[in-house]
Amino acid sequence: MAKLRVMFESGEPERIIEFSPSKAPFQHDGQPGSILDVLLGHGIPLEHACGGNCACTTCHVIVKKGFDRLSQAEEREEDLLDRAPGLTPTSRLGCQAVIEDEDAEIEVVVPRYTINQQVADSR
Amino acid sequence: MPESRINQRVIYNATIERIVEHNLVTRSLYLRLPADTHFTFIPGQFISVAITLGGETRVRPYTIASCPHDDGPLEIVFNLVPGGAGSEYLFRRQVGDQLSFTGPFGLFTLERPPEVETIFAALETAIAPIRPMLQRALDGPCSAPLRLFYGARDRSQLLYVQEFEAAAKRHSNFTFETVIEEPAVSTGPGRRLFERLQHLFVDGDQRRDRAFYLCGVGQPVLDLRDLLRQAGYARRAVQYERW
Repeated sequence: MAKLRVMFESGEPERIIEFSPSKAPFQHDGQPGSILDVLLGHGIPLEHACGGNCACTTCHVIVKKGFDRLSQAEEREEDLLDRAPGLTPTSRLGCQAVIEDEDAEIEVVVPRYTINQQVADSR
Repeated sequence: MPESRINQRVIYNATIERIVEHNLVTRSLYLRLPADTHFTFIPGQFISVAITLGGETRVRPYTIASCPHDDGPLEIVFNLVPGGAGSEYLFRRQVGDQLSFTGPFGLFTLERPPEVETIFAALETAIAPIRPMLQRALDGPCSAPLRLFYGARDRSQLLYVQEFEAAAKRHSNFTFETVIEEPAVSTGPGRRLFERLQHLFVDGDQRRDRAFYLCGVGQPVLDLRDLLRQAGYARRAVQYERW
């Protein structure tokens, strides 16, 4: 079983999900088996304003553990991440980062803000 | 005022004021917000519409096809996708129905008139973000050449053609060209648009100082991105959105 630990900068309690990547998709948004897919499919909300279509950065997560166990980011994801606030070397879009290994252990932090929220707050 | 905030997002509630059928599978909905609601966006952005299906709420993105300074209702334009929950839901909406959405979202935007020759290219309903971008560019102090290449499988899938043709007559720096993909079966969607841009802006000269805004569904827009970046255009000069 793969393990996904999610921590929230907003202060919500962390969650740990154990799941089998081979059973993906767990719901209908994002890449099958992506962090977004796993979270939503286990009842944990993660914002995804574009429906998980890699067209915004609202599902930005920072990977703390297991970065190299995730699918490689494509150029489209990198182009968007370049404009995400709080970008780190281990940033990924939750809708695109797929957990493929049955024994992967992944830890991610969900940042408090997204670029869209910053736009909204500045109005 | 917006009615509620969830996770610090403002939820807007709009009324469908008008529905326009462009063809059998393409519609525009015009969304009217309450008079005291403040909603602004940058040309190219989308809204995230709440779709309720069987007691479950999903969000689906729809690009705003109208211009921020129109002061009219927000327009979203979309195709009926067989089996597509979002588009089927929206196709069932009637004038007077309410839609809830958050936003605006998206980074495929044009905030100010371009200073260099700028090429816009879109396929079918993916013209939605390009339309307000062009309006923003043409309404501002812009002398840079602006060129729109608009592709479709056939002419019935082209939207706003008269509007673009009229704009091309009014603005000497703007040209508009349609690129019909017929026969789509043999060339694949977007192939002729790809070949047209390749001919003009890759093989046609050595200039690499243009900017591009590309929008489409699926692989064709990524093929265009790769074509232009690999030809020497700067990465940031090639902006795109792939749905």
